[in-house]
Amino acid sequence: MRCRLCEREASAGLCQYHEDAKRAVERAYQLWKDAYGTLGWNEYLGMVIRNPETGQWAVEVARLMRSPHES
Amino acid sequence: MVVCEKPDAARRVAEALSEGSPSITLTGGVQSYSFARKGERYVVCAAQGHLYDVSDPFAERVVYPVFDVEWFPHDLVEKEAAVASRRIAAIKALAKGATRFVNACDFDAEGETIGFNVLRYGCGGAEGSALRVRFSTLTREELKEAFDRAESSTRDALASAGRARHVIDFVWGVNLSRALSQSALGAGQRYRTVSIGRVQGPTLGFLVSREVEIRTFVSRPFWAVHAEFEKERTRFSAGYSVERIYTRAEVEKIEGDCSGCEGQVEAVKRSVLSQPPPPPFNIGDLQKEAYRHFRLPPNRTMQAAERLYLDALISYPRTNSQKLPRSINYRRILQAVGSMQEYSIAGDLLNGDLKPVEGDKDDPAHPAIYPTGERPGSPLGSSEARVYDLIVRRFIAAFAPSARREAVAVTIAVDGHQFRLGSRNTLEEGWLRYYGRYAERVQAEMPALREGDRLKLVSIQHEDKFEPRPQRYNQGSLLEKMEKENIGTKATRAEIISTLVARGYVGGESLTASDLGMSVIEVMKRHAPSVLSTGLTRDVEEKLERVGNGTEDVKELIRDTIRTISRQLDELNANEGVVGRDLSSAALATGSDQDVLGACPVCKSGKLRVIRSRKTHKRFVGCTNYSKGCRASAPLPQRGAIKPANKACRTCSWPIVYVRRGRFPWRLCVNPKCPAKEAKKNAL
Repeated sequence: MRCRLCEREASAGLCQYHEDAKRAVERAYQLWKDAYGTLGWNEYLGMVIRNPETGQWAVEVARLMRSPHES
Repeated sequence: MVVCEKPDAARRVAEALSEGSPSITLTGGVQSYSFARKGERYVVCAAQGHLYDVSDPFAERVVYPVFDVEWFPHDLVEKEAAVASRRIAAIKALAKGATRFVNACDFDAEGETIGFNVLRYGCGGAEGSALRVRFSTLTREELKEAFDRAESSTRDALASAGRARHVIDFVWGVNLSRALSQSALGAGQRYRTVSIGRVQGPTLGFLVSREVEIRTFVSRPFWAVHAEFEKERTRFSAGYSVERIYTRAEVEKIEGDCSGCEGQVEAVKRSVLSQPPPPPFNIGDLQKEAYRHFRLPPNRTMQAAERLYLDALISYPRTNSQKLPRSINYRRILQAVGSMQEYSIAGDLLNGDLKPVEGDKDDPAHPAIYPTGERPGSPLGSSEARVYDLIVRRFIAAFAPSARREAVAVTIAVDGHQFRLGSRNTLEEGWLRYYGRYAERVQAEMPALREGDRLKLVSIQHEDKFEPRPQRYNQGSLLEKMEKENIGTKATRAEIISTLVARGYVGGESLTASDLGMSVIEVMKRHAPSVLSTGLTRDVEEKLERVGNGTEDVKELIRDTIRTISRQLDELNANEGVVGRDLSSAALATGSDQDVLGACPVCKSGKLRVIRSRKTHKRFVGCTNYSKGCRASAPLPQRGAIKPANKACRTCSWPIVYVRRGRFPWRLCVNPKCPAKEAKKNAL
């Protein structure tokens, strides 16, 4: 089975790297919520995607998570 | 007969011992020098680095495992080293008439190995009876003294360690690289060398780990709060006592609390810091400093330093030592460099007692790098001139007094909140003056403030910030990491970094692991993780050091290494199919396949690559998402080499390639329907 975001092997939808990036995106949500007070999931993902510090795989995962199909 | 490591060193030795008049003889095109000294006839000849190298007798790149290795003339192992056999023949001819041999190669493990091999294989087994001379500079005085003190060879252990390193690195690299290359070939990829070495593996591992950290990084927002104060019409800014505030609510509270209040200087703390000069250079420090100031890659610094050594301008550069023994004669060197116009400042130090600052690191073979005081005979090349200047200034600075700096830290209270500002001023330059432009000078001014001063709070602002992603290694910081992890040696680290770049595993000024590099590490992590272990590499390094000291059995170390490699090979062999598939698919997926030209502008997720038709054998461009329905394709010129330009066409976003047929390559957008091409055609 191939990763949904690249051609690497994946056991459950995403390869190890994109899986790590996904966990990092999910983990950071609570920190961002605390930082801004209130922050919706999709708004958060948008900010993560636009943030120039965000890593390439994290951006790819955030885009995938933001798609209506995923949310 | 005197054996030197390099031709330039042989010339210097001959000139020093003969008092400048050696006769030059050509033997098969190879120069040697002869002269008489103290009633004896001398012949001085040179190797050219390693004349012998380790290889397997099969010389077949597909055969592995290979554990029976032998020493061969270097050019039989590396085809481009064509001079080795000619030089060996000359040495053998000269050795026939010799009654005594002297090993005058560099005094370290590599020098011992070079000298040992030349004496053993080129001079009829003279390695046991040869005399050894020891010197750290190629100046006449030191060379003459070294030959007067020549001793019988007692450093067999060091030669043994040097030879063992070559054997271990060969066995390690050749077996694993062949296993990987063969696996990839078995999985249907074209043959390509996928190499991994003993130190190369963990080093590439550092770069890949950092790349993964960067690519998966999600930043955290924070705020920095600053207040602007005014005192006697002078405005200045101070930062909030907590540099990173992680919630907006807290920022709002600070701003709310402080608004409309005034500040009061709560504390003014002054401290004077004494900053001693940095120790004289060892090779690692020199490489890092040259990278920091000139962006000179470590291998280029090493080459420049070696050139300077061979020109007798500096001492032997491959040293770990940060110490300068009194025996080098500090005063003579400072006087000599001080007589050069650009270093005349050194003369100021000659009045006092001369005692250099030294670091902790030591090297039993050589002192820290120092200038000999000799003047360059001809203008130095750009890299050599910069490295020389750095070495001379660092040497002079080591004798200078400490710099004295004053630090002032002010705390301003505003309604229970604290703001801080600070300044640093240089009170006495000390060594900073001698180190010149390489010394970091910190000068931060601030208004005169006293405890109890009342200040008007003009404004309070915040900045939205995000934690920065981790930094990629550069050549200097990677070298530092290798030193810290104790992998590689002072002589090999720079070369290993260059090899990673040459293999295409990393690229760019900030070393970015390429997709190919990532693929290799992925496969090794899965199937032979020990190969990437810094612990294992360090362990071998430490054991080699012990072999050099004579406290470890070299045979046992080689046996151990073979056992380790065998286990890894068994693992790779058992999974050959999977390894091959992983390498192929990783190469394809990540674009490390050399045929990948760039992203597909049609489906946006696939990659355009060069494909050869099975039917017509013609090449064309197709998308990797063909099986998913993407029909992007384009014809290609059938002759000439095609290389991706790693750029997309500005007009149509299809990849640009370079086509090389004849002397000059030409650029081509692979899209036959590119509007830019149409426009050009119409214009014509």
